[in-house]
Amino acid sequence: MANNSIELNVRMEVEKVRSKRKDWGLKWYVFLIPSFLGILLFMVYPIFESLRLSFYQSNGTVEHYIGLANFKSVLTSNSFWNAVWNTFFIGIFQIIITIPLGFIFASIINSTKRGQNFFKVLYFLPNVTSIVAAAMIFAFVLHPEMGIVNYVLHAIGLPTPGWLSDPSTSKWAVIILAVWHWVGFVIIICLANLQAIPSEMYEAAKIDGASGLQQWFFITIPNMAGTFAFLLITGWIGALQRFNEVYVLGGPNGSPARSIQTMGAFIYERGFTGFEFGIASAATYIMFILILVFTFINLKVSKMKI
Amino acid sequence: MKAGLSYRKREQIAGGFKFVILLVFGLLLITPFVWMVSVGFDRTANVTMPFPPKLVPKHPSSFNFGIVFENGSLIKAYLNSAIVTVSSVLIGVSASLLAGYAFSKGRFKGKKVLFVVVLCTLMIPMEPRLIPLYKLFNSVHLLNTFWPLVLPSLISGMLIFLCKQFFDQLPDTLREASQIDGAGEFTTFFRIYLPLAGPIVATMIILAFIWSWNDFMWPLVVLNDKELQTVPLYLASFSLENGTRLGGLTMALATMSVLPIVILYLFLQKYIIQSIALSGVKGE
Repeated sequence: MANNSIELNVRMEVEKVRSKRKDWGLKWYVFLIPSFLGILLFMVYPIFESLRLSFYQSNGTVEHYIGLANFKSVLTSNSFWNAVWNTFFIGIFQIIITIPLGFIFASIINSTKRGQNFFKVLYFLPNVTSIVAAAMIFAFVLHPEMGIVNYVLHAIGLPTPGWLSDPSTSKWAVIILAVWHWVGFVIIICLANLQAIPSEMYEAAKIDGASGLQQWFFITIPNMAGTFAFLLITGWIGALQRFNEVYVLGGPNGSPARSIQTMGAFIYERGFTGFEFGIASAATYIMFILILVFTFINLKVSKMKI
Repeated sequence: MKAGLSYRKREQIAGGFKFVILLVFGLLLITPFVWMVSVGFDRTANVTMPFPPKLVPKHPSSFNFGIVFENGSLIKAYLNSAIVTVSSVLIGVSASLLAGYAFSKGRFKGKKVLFVVVLCTLMIPMEPRLIPLYKLFNSVHLLNTFWPLVLPSLISGMLIFLCKQFFDQLPDTLREASQIDGAGEFTTFFRIYLPLAGPIVATMIILAFIWSWNDFMWPLVVLNDKELQTVPLYLASFSLENGTRLGGLTMALATMSVLPIVILYLFLQKYIIQSIALSGVKGE
């Protein structure tokens, strides 16, 4: 009897709290005010304004509607397609080199007993330095006459490319920088996911007599498929937005001979050195749609839960 | 018995082999940094770069570092970067904590839809927003101030997402207990949940710090005033002005720009690596 009345009391208390919570529903919106103010002002408004601008001829002060002319002019412009080509070329090679390389190093680090943490810290070091500073250093590292890379190449009897001074090799210079800077990130992500593979799987394989290499091929790699997909897509999205290092190495027009001008640099050049806001907006929308498609695939693949 | 011994021996040899490989490639990876420091200490490198490359310069001198500090631009850039980064982190983390908490523990109309809106912001890159934001800040005469760099940090979908996930792991019963005691939603948040949020706050600060400190394209667009340049902007303008002349000076400057971050990294490496892994594993 006494028990029952206590239970009733507690239930009533909880009910009271629940109903009170309903009254406080409005309070929750207060928690969201700062973030949604930011979303409206710095996300929603600029996205629509940018779309509007892409249908106008505009230099920031004078505007008039010209329909799809900006898109037409961007899509028929050689320098835009050159920028797309450069962006894709650098991005594709950065990714197909860095992911396998990073994965192999992550696997070795994961399987070594000594100094695991030391290697983690060492390999991640390039990634913590800003890409701007890194580009500044690499302009010298890859210098055709005074750089250490060509010094080593020459010493072991290999040809010494002109790197950033030659349009036919300059993209490779950016790729080398990009691989060097990104590999630490790939290693960290791979390591985190390698350590999440249940050890029972390896133990079972060992009992069945699988060698280390067999375990790597038949257990590790299939278990890492999601991680590879994630790295592939985030890497690709980052590659589509490449700007900082090519700006430092080649300026807004991507010298030499526009050979390293990326889409981001094209947008910057047309928008902020030429003040052709309409053209630049159309170009950003084309890029935005590309990024959106890949981000969407990423969210699907990595199965982010809402 | 014999087979077991040889297996162990094989394992040991393989372990030693792996260690050597990792060490060699690791050193290769940081060679640019080592060379950077070495050239920075070489006064003559401003005229002719030391060739063949040396680990220790022939006549070590702190001349280049002297110039970097005398000139004062780098220190100024550090101050600017510090102001921008601290303010950005402060407002970004605060706003995201509030929103993340509401999305985790709140019960209100439109919660799901609003959270989808937040996730959608993850898909919106900076580039399509550059020109409208430039025009927006221009129209309120805030170009060439720090406001355009700080204010947009108010919204970070990634931080809200990480924060919500963290609060999801904390039990709801804490809330109910606190409210039976008569505390309101804000008191509950500040007194009960916030003190438990230490680990995620640290992660959020680290990520927001990295994003803001390395931000380049947007600051390049809104800051023309040399007095207001952040560290990356100053480095880029120095580099574009001088190209590959003045090797010694450039490398001394690069060293001084990298050093504080590397020191910070060595102290906080565990947390930084964890944060990166967390943001990587959970999306974006």
